[in-house]
Amino acid sequence: MTDTATRPIADAPPRTTGARGGVAARLASGPLPWLLPAVAMLGLFYLYPVIEAVRLAFTDARLFDTETAFSMRSVSSLAGSSTLGTILRNTLSYTVASVVGQIALGLAIALLVVRAERARLRGTLVLRTIVLAAWVIPAIANGIIWQLLFSEAPFGAINSALRMAGVAPVAWLSDPGNAMLSAVIATIWQGTAYSMILLYAALKTIDTALYEAAAIDAARPWERFWFITLPHLRPALLVNAILILIMTLNMFDTILALTGGGPGRATEILSLYAYGTVFQNFELGRGAALSMLLLVISLTLTALLTLLLPQERR
Amino acid sequence: MVRSRAERLADLAVYAAMLLLAAAFLLPVLWLASLAVRTQAEVFLGAARFIPEAPTLDNFARVLRDGGFQTYIWNTIKLSSLGAAGAVALAAPAAYALSRMRFRGKGAVMLGILSVQMVSGLVVLIPLYRFMDRLGLLESHFGTTLLYIAAGIPVTVWLLKIAFDTVPQTLDDAAAIDGLSRFETFAMITLPLALPGLVSAFILNLILNWSQFLIPFIMLTADETWPISVAIFRFAGSTSAATTQLLAAACLLAILPALAIFIVLQRWILAALMAGAVKQ
Repeated sequence: MTDTATRPIADAPPRTTGARGGVAARLASGPLPWLLPAVAMLGLFYLYPVIEAVRLAFTDARLFDTETAFSMRSVSSLAGSSTLGTILRNTLSYTVASVVGQIALGLAIALLVVRAERARLRGTLVLRTIVLAAWVIPAIANGIIWQLLFSEAPFGAINSALRMAGVAPVAWLSDPGNAMLSAVIATIWQGTAYSMILLYAALKTIDTALYEAAAIDAARPWERFWFITLPHLRPALLVNAILILIMTLNMFDTILALTGGGPGRATEILSLYAYGTVFQNFELGRGAALSMLLLVISLTLTALLTLLLPQERR
Repeated sequence: MVRSRAERLADLAVYAAMLLLAAAFLLPVLWLASLAVRTQAEVFLGAARFIPEAPTLDNFARVLRDGGFQTYIWNTIKLSSLGAAGAVALAAPAAYALSRMRFRGKGAVMLGILSVQMVSGLVVLIPLYRFMDRLGLLESHFGTTLLYIAAGIPVTVWLLKIAFDTVPQTLDDAAAIDGLSRFETFAMITLPLALPGLVSAFILNLILNWSQFLIPFIMLTADETWPISVAIFRFAGSTSAATTQLLAAACLLAILPALAIFIVLQRWILAALMAGAVKQ
């Protein structure tokens, strides 16, 4: 009976009482009943809405009207919209600055923590905990906290500190140029922890023998970083970039609470614009088209970054 | 091991950088705490009075005494925990099938489940709004919980698959020889052995659900149904400079439970995050 013991369970005959067999029993013994609950939920609350959004994008639907007719107006009105141009430029600068900032700072902290752990410095765990705690703070609270910090009232945290240092106060949120910078800072402050922990985990998997060999070859620190650390981190960096990119591109809470998209449209990114179009202007068709645009951008960028991954990690 | 002078200098630089970073990540929260214990008069002194001369817990008392606040916290606990439990319960069988069974289209199923993460909540909530309305699920915690569960499923399937992969297959085979059905094996052998992974996944869901804003923001308009995230946003929109200290207190109370869960259960949350990171 040794072959029974080594045979993988997937190939074992179904234990249903033979005679009642047939299609139902075969389905029951397969993966379907196991997958069904999860897949049904995703089908109902993700796949169906995406299909419905594509359909709605080609209608003139309004949020509270049930009558909808086929129309190209929602899609075609976007093509020549100068507002959409502004929104896309905002989305681009916000996303690029936030993603680069989160990855760079996350990598720097991860390297620092690994270096400190190697030297057995005390307080490493405390630093890691403090950085990660920022990630646990709800994004909506993050927006409120930074609004209190950037507050331009005479008693606002940063501005009153600047005044104490003899520096002129800065219009953090009311100046269109600064508002985007403020939104990026708030986003990086919260999101960095996620990059840090992912890259920290990846750094821990690099064989220390490589660094010992490099030390024997008298490699300089930047050489060790460039020729050992970075190449080994490449897959983790790319996966990290994909995840952060999707999160940042779809960010809603932090900006809503911090600036509400203002002043004017200075910090209004695609997700906020789509929300406003549907739930403030009730233009469901146009909003659906905008959300599809957001989805297409997300999927395209993910696909592009995936192509950069080494074959076996795809 | 004797450390060289250069190494000790480098250690000093590392310490300095660590201190700087700790300050950068702590100060915003400390500022919130500082505002929360100030009187209105001291709020207007700004950074000059980082540690208030007359600290007060009045702001917390006022926020907590407000019946609304208790309702918001209770709603958050309810939605977060039911959403997390639902996600783990529905993801576990799927993760087990992906970990243990061989079948055609398995790669496609896994890719499909993961790619759901690329879809933002906003994309699905726009069409779902009417759908949920027609089903009578708008404005209900039941309908909202279903969306929390759906949002949690992809990452949970992934985490639980990794957890099940670490339980040796030979135990399943032994159970099969002993005459246990597949489901009995899953429930009595695999699940108990993968308990740490299940706990990690539950806690990660809990933390993510505590932060959830968009789903309840769109689904729930009635004040008494809001979780704390929606409530503090609405409160922030209605406050003025004169009530800054109350907003700070409410905000701090809203994030404290999540921070407490994180600090106490950090090991589990890190395990979940890093499992996902290394295996990806």
